[in-house]
Amino acid sequence: MLSINNLHASVEEKQIIKGLNLDIKPGEVHAIMGPNGAGKSTLGYVLSGRDGYEVNDGSATLNGKDLLELEVEERAREGLFLAFQYPVEIPGVSNMEFLKESVNAMREHRGEEPLTAAEFLKKAKAACKQVHLPLDFLKRGVNEGFSGGEKKRNEIMQMILLEPSLCILDESDSGLDVDALQVVADGVNSQRDGKRSFIVVTHYQRLLDYIKPDFVHILADGKIVKSGDASLALEVEKSGYAFLGKAYEESEA
Amino acid sequence: MSQWLSEVIAEGQRQTDWLAGHRQQATEALANIKWPVRRQEAWRFTPLLPVEKRSVSLAAAVEQHGSAPVIDGLDAYSVSFAGNKLAAQQGSVPAGLTFTLFSNANTEQQATIKALLSQVKPSHHLFGQVNDALMTEGVYIHVPANTVIDTPIRLSQLAASVGDQHLRVLVHVESGAKVAIIEDGFGDADSLNTFVSEYVLDAQAQLEHYRFAMYTQQAMHVGSCHFKVGEKAQLTSNIVGYGSVLSRLDVDVEYTGEFANANVNAIYLLAEGELFDLHSTIEHAVPNCTTEENARGIVGDRAKAVFNGRIHIHRNAQKTLAELNNRNLLLSRRAIINTKPELEIYADDVRCAHGATVAEIEEKALYYLLTRGISRSQALIMLNFGFIQELITQIPNIAISDWLLHSLRERFVSMEVK
Amino acid sequence: MSEQIEQALSKQYEAGFYSEIESDTFEKGLDESVIQRISAIKNEPEWMLEWRLKAYRSWLEMEEPEWAHVDYEKIDYQAISYYSSPKSMKDKPKSLDEVDPDLLDVYNKLGIPLHEQEMLAGVAVDAVFDSVSVVTTFREKLEEAGVIFCPISEAIKKYPELVKKYIGSVVPRTDNYFAALNSAVFTDGSFVYIPKGVRCPMELSTYFRINEQNTGQFERTLIIADEGSHVSYLEGCTAPQRDENQLHAAVVELVAMDKANIKYSTVQNWYPGDENGKGGIYNFVTKRGICHNDAKISWTQVETGSSVTWKYPSCVLKGDNSVGEFYSVALTRGRQQADTGTKMIHLGKNTRSTIISKGISAGRSNNAYRGLVQMGPKADNARNFTQCDSLLIGDQCGAHTFPYIESRNPSAIVEHEATTSKVSDEQLFLCQQRGLDAEKAVSMIVNGFCKEVFKELPMEFAVEAGKLLEISLEGSVG
Repeated sequence: MLSINNLHASVEEKQIIKGLNLDIKPGEVHAIMGPNGAGKSTLGYVLSGRDGYEVNDGSATLNGKDLLELEVEERAREGLFLAFQYPVEIPGVSNMEFLKESVNAMREHRGEEPLTAAEFLKKAKAACKQVHLPLDFLKRGVNEGFSGGEKKRNEIMQMILLEPSLCILDESDSGLDVDALQVVADGVNSQRDGKRSFIVVTHYQRLLDYIKPDFVHILADGKIVKSGDASLALEVEKSGYAFLGKAYEESEA
Repeated sequence: MSQWLSEVIAEGQRQTDWLAGHRQQATEALANIKWPVRRQEAWRFTPLLPVEKRSVSLAAAVEQHGSAPVIDGLDAYSVSFAGNKLAAQQGSVPAGLTFTLFSNANTEQQATIKALLSQVKPSHHLFGQVNDALMTEGVYIHVPANTVIDTPIRLSQLAASVGDQHLRVLVHVESGAKVAIIEDGFGDADSLNTFVSEYVLDAQAQLEHYRFAMYTQQAMHVGSCHFKVGEKAQLTSNIVGYGSVLSRLDVDVEYTGEFANANVNAIYLLAEGELFDLHSTIEHAVPNCTTEENARGIVGDRAKAVFNGRIHIHRNAQKTLAELNNRNLLLSRRAIINTKPELEIYADDVRCAHGATVAEIEEKALYYLLTRGISRSQALIMLNFGFIQELITQIPNIAISDWLLHSLRERFVSMEVK
Repeated sequence: MSEQIEQALSKQYEAGFYSEIESDTFEKGLDESVIQRISAIKNEPEWMLEWRLKAYRSWLEMEEPEWAHVDYEKIDYQAISYYSSPKSMKDKPKSLDEVDPDLLDVYNKLGIPLHEQEMLAGVAVDAVFDSVSVVTTFREKLEEAGVIFCPISEAIKKYPELVKKYIGSVVPRTDNYFAALNSAVFTDGSFVYIPKGVRCPMELSTYFRINEQNTGQFERTLIIADEGSHVSYLEGCTAPQRDENQLHAAVVELVAMDKANIKYSTVQNWYPGDENGKGGIYNFVTKRGICHNDAKISWTQVETGSSVTWKYPSCVLKGDNSVGEFYSVALTRGRQQADTGTKMIHLGKNTRSTIISKGISAGRSNNAYRGLVQMGPKADNARNFTQCDSLLIGDQCGAHTFPYIESRNPSAIVEHEATTSKVSDEQLFLCQQRGLDAEKAVSMIVNGFCKEVFKELPMEFAVEAGKLLEISLEGSVG
């Protein structure tokens, strides 16, 4: 599904991703852990095509398509979904309007008819319910005045509505209490259907108690330095990132 | 003195109706007026050349005057004026208030109107004086004390024919009464339209006011709304401006009693070579009043927007709260925005702030929409329009809010986004 | 409580003494012959006189500006003497030892010793007394670095190409009424040239003193920072306490070539007039700098004096990536009136400007910020941020904000914010309850309010400015 080869990327001429390789098959859940500044969030931005994140070398394909050739919105339509760590507030643009536009953009790309207002509303209400958001959220501005937890749940709701093939969850656990974490995890787990794949980016092992990964990778200094199964996360939990040695020190500095 | 102004004076002097005394005062004042040039602050960014070049001819009534756009779901008493005459009306005068056309006023009503005229409008407005001299039709609305009027009144000026139109509105909302009044102007004929309204709000009166200056193309417009707001009275005013070859609106709010408040929201949306100039002045002449003013504009193509928002806190107006915020988006390299939020403060125990921005769409917000598969052009429209949509959705009347959302969006989408 | 604050604010003007210095002073009045005489005394070349006369003729055609939020009696330009010089300066002393000790004493009294060994080590001073420069210190040391720092009257003779090329290039002769008057009659001021790549080894400063009665001071300053050079320049000004108003109409021009950096700081403490508005200096000043590519000009001003101030130090950001800054504290009390601010004209790409203005009004004074931020059609990605804060002390003063914003570029971002606040009884009470007296409390609150600006001043001046405000807020608090 997703294949990243020797990826190098920089921001403002500073090299952040330095030769990253990753292969993800349909239905797999990969956790990416690592110390602060390792480039975890950058990976999501680079794959989604954010302005200012420059790919210097390597390749990334999603379902056989060269992601790096595509515009941000084209990548999204190809099935790449990024759940943001800090979703931006957009006053004046209602959630409803925003979600309808994006759901229909996806449908159009897949050659499906756009949803009517009524059809959409029904779907949106169901998704709202699933992530425990009150219905009046649909009327409010995108993320406007939402609490941290509400923003995260709003991201998961969008994921449910947009039905992507690859979801990147960028620190979706940060700032959440146990209950909110459960809601987020339930939302994610409900979308695991054996075909959809996930990259779960997190600093802590905690989230992985709720979303069981098939693989765990440690990202440090722009590279995956260690891979393993879920037990690797527990190891990190126990002894921290000290085993990274020099690479860790550099990236923390 | 411009040729045009001397013709205005001559025309004003020719009129010999029951308003002649009032007209004469105005023509005398106009005779002493210095024709505004760029150096004059009030017209610094809006040259009056298109007016100066005109000659005065009052528009005559025409058969084909069109009509004001229908606002779906608005159950109002609607009256429109074209060619300086009543052109159409719909619905009936709501029970509980009196509605008098100047042309129908009996002697008693004439006396009332004469006593009220120019009592709210400050004398420094050049085109206010022109309206004084040349007004040919007007409306006087009186809402007696403690009367709540549920049916809004809509007054439309249709710039349908060549020539000048001068419409006057006088409204007296007595204490504890409540009413909603919509003033709007449409049309694109080569014309000069003044539309002056004066409002007196007695203690605890509530007014929901709308002014939509939607004149376009060759229809010039210099209008004004003036309010005197009494003790504990409440004013909300929602303003929308399109641009034409010259469109200018002056809004003056003066507090005459304490603990009153005003909420003024303005939106302007300009394309092509249009010009819209909004001047607002809030006179905090007494203590303990609260003002919140928000103006937002999108200026595209070769258009020019001018905003001048003044808040004046008088010497004794302690405990005033006043906030003014003006935000602008420029869509084109040939568009111009001139904004000037002003504070003039003579009392120390007040909280006042103003802010003005000219900005572009936030990169982060755009990126967010793109990651959700929305196309760049659609995302830009959503974000740009979202910027003014925020103000529209605050409008208390749902029918008006829906109508504005629809018509402003349509106008916006048709604007060339460069 | 507010009475306490009022009292705290009614302080003495410490620089208000008059010095008995014998002077040669022109009789009052202005015509072409006066200009010819000034030019002759200064031994000026023909082109300079021509330039002055052209300015004078334009000035005659111009009208005094009325748009500022200030109110003063019309100035009788024929009732002013346009030149006054201490007699002892006639022989042009070659060194400090030859300068009249009485004259040096004036500066000692003002806290500005002109003997190099007594001075702050890092500061070179040009002392301008009425219409002439008395002395310029540390010239040799500066010359070693290639820096020219001398009276402008001397520069006209010694460096005519530089002066001819740049004088009037930033503030044209006919820029405005007062600039035109200055161009016609300017008498002295400082000239600075920093060669390519040189970081000026010390702070440069000019100290202006008006002493003689019925005279005007018309100084002209020209600073040229060549490519990649750095300079920090400071100016201070005082005048005796008198019942008549005196006019000070200066012009300052700054040229920052590619990658150059000019920091210009002012502590303005002209006599402000008494509490009833009698006397004081009319401070009508035009200051402007032009920034070429990657250059930076930073204006910092602390304005506590003058009865009327009309002053807008500005930056023309012509070059790409150039930066303009304006940091201002303006304190008005008594009947003082200030209308001050800045203009940031963004012409080049990626130009940046910051405006921080702090106005403090007390007594029956009026304090206005007036500024212009202009984004030209080619100023892609230009940015401005403006913050104007007013502090009102008492209910008889006025605080005003008149920002003009014009944008013609869709990628330019302008942000303007203004707020107003008062020194509240609660704040005072809190401070007093914690054992501070009202005077100290007000001074603390005001200093806190101004902190953002003070930190921009060179260290020596920051101390002086802080003291100046403190003195301004000093008095008998009961």
